[in-house]
Amino acid sequence: MQRQLFDHFGLPVMGLILILILVGCAPETEKPLEEVSYRLKWLYNISVVGDLYALDSGLFEKQGLAVNVKPGGPEKDAIKELELGHAQFGVASADQVIRAVSKGSPIVVIAQLFQINPLHWIYRPDKTPLKTPQDLKGKTIGVTHGGNDETIMRALLAKYGIQESEVNLFSVRYDYTPFYQGKVDLWPLYRNAQAPIIGAKLLKAGERFDLMDPSKMGIQFVANSVVTTRKMLEDRRETVQRFIKALLEGWREALDPANTETVIALILKYNKETPEEIIRQQLPATRILMMPSAKFDFGTIDVAAWQQTEEIMLAQKLIPVSVYVEKLLKPINE
Amino acid sequence: MLHRRIYQFLMIYFIGFAALMLVKYSLNLSDYVIPGFTEIGIACRRYFGLYLLAVLNTLAVAILGHLLSICMATVVGIIGRLTIWIGSFIRVAAYNIQAYPIVAVAPIIFILLGDGLSSRLLIAAMICYFPLLLSIIGILSEPVTEIEHFFESTRRMNWQLQAKIRAFENIHKLMTVIVGSATLAMVGTIVAEFIAANAGIGYSIRIALYQSDLAKILVALFLIGICTSIYLVLLEWLGMVIKKRIGSV
Repeated sequence: MQRQLFDHFGLPVMGLILILILVGCAPETEKPLEEVSYRLKWLYNISVVGDLYALDSGLFEKQGLAVNVKPGGPEKDAIKELELGHAQFGVASADQVIRAVSKGSPIVVIAQLFQINPLHWIYRPDKTPLKTPQDLKGKTIGVTHGGNDETIMRALLAKYGIQESEVNLFSVRYDYTPFYQGKVDLWPLYRNAQAPIIGAKLLKAGERFDLMDPSKMGIQFVANSVVTTRKMLEDRRETVQRFIKALLEGWREALDPANTETVIALILKYNKETPEEIIRQQLPATRILMMPSAKFDFGTIDVAAWQQTEEIMLAQKLIPVSVYVEKLLKPINE
Repeated sequence: MLHRRIYQFLMIYFIGFAALMLVKYSLNLSDYVIPGFTEIGIACRRYFGLYLLAVLNTLAVAILGHLLSICMATVVGIIGRLTIWIGSFIRVAAYNIQAYPIVAVAPIIFILLGDGLSSRLLIAAMICYFPLLLSIIGILSEPVTEIEHFFESTRRMNWQLQAKIRAFENIHKLMTVIVGSATLAMVGTIVAEFIAANAGIGYSIRIALYQSDLAKILVALFLIGICTSIYLVLLEWLGMVIKKRIGSV
């Protein structure tokens, strides 16, 4: 009976086992990469170095993702692209996020990039000594009307009880001429990206410069953070986790002083217009804003800073009612 | 004529608006991406008056810039017509300067003129001047042989008469060019305000863009369209009056 069974099924079973062994030994077929798009806030520069690092060193691919990293710009709005489905992840400033949510945009924040807002004011300490916020009285201060530097400056003035009539708010644009000419005492700029360039020009002209940091005066206004849609987080949480894992790893490695030369070469690859000596100054400035201490857990969402950002926007009537910002903050565990 | 222009503009505006709403509601987009009726209504109530004043401010500068451009283009056009070399030189210079993006030239203008009215005026004039100049040079360089021949053979031709003959014979073309360049003057002023000024509708649009507030921009676009239509109708009416007068001479 046993022999009969073997005669009937033995060969086919043996054949099947052989096939299974061969299939098992065959090289594993590669899973296709999952495609996602990531819209940056600005053009390729020092402020997106970690994003470029994650892309260039294959960290996204290791997580099974093919990420299309798209540069931002003045008219590019990552939140709008998320809603329209043109991107799955993006970078937006806190004021953009809060404004969007107050208008019903279904977005969430999954990581915070800048821990200190890079928006500072440059000034000449010899001509404009600033020891306390009260020293701002009587000064001509540059602000971009409608921009978040205006919001920050108004919050600062309000915090220290300085009336707007006690300062002269000067409308600024791309051109620094009024500052160079001394018509404006304090000019807003990004500490990591622009300060090394403008500072170098002032030093060349034999002038000293210093930077006013609103965060040191108690104004925490959150800058760039990584956002996605609520739907993406609910439906494709695992993709979001893999993306964040690769992105944060990219940022950590990019900001690691041990990788300085690789990072400078990387920036020069994507941005040929900025001279290397400027990038060398921009990189440590970026580290300070993103990694306040060596052991800082990169990407941490500063809930208190977000709450203060919302309070400032409410006080200045930039949003009609509270959006309960804590509900939007969804840090992703790697 | 006025009501037809306004009616045509309203048709275009509301077709565009309907398309936006279609996209908004079919894709279920938030008010942040495309504002809803309520938000547009609120923006309209709050900013209509303010933006109307801003558009009128812009229009005033645009008209001034346009007039300046017409005068300059006429003078340079007449000079450019005189000799082949000067005409060709002015044409080449006009083509080259026209090719410069105004955002790149703007910092130089700010250094020279500051960021007040003069910069707005110059940028507006620059944007509408060169197309106007090229057309005027083209028109004034084109001989009206059958008429000019008579004056030349009787030795009564001078440069003023030549310019008058050519302008008179091409009055339709000239009016079309002038009306067309009015739109460019408006666009030029808005661009100038966007990058250089502290007043005008271009400046207001810049602030609205910083705040991602499309509702305000829709209100601004509506007012720009209405005011530009009125200015164009006024120019067309002036053109008709001039043509009638010339016809009756």
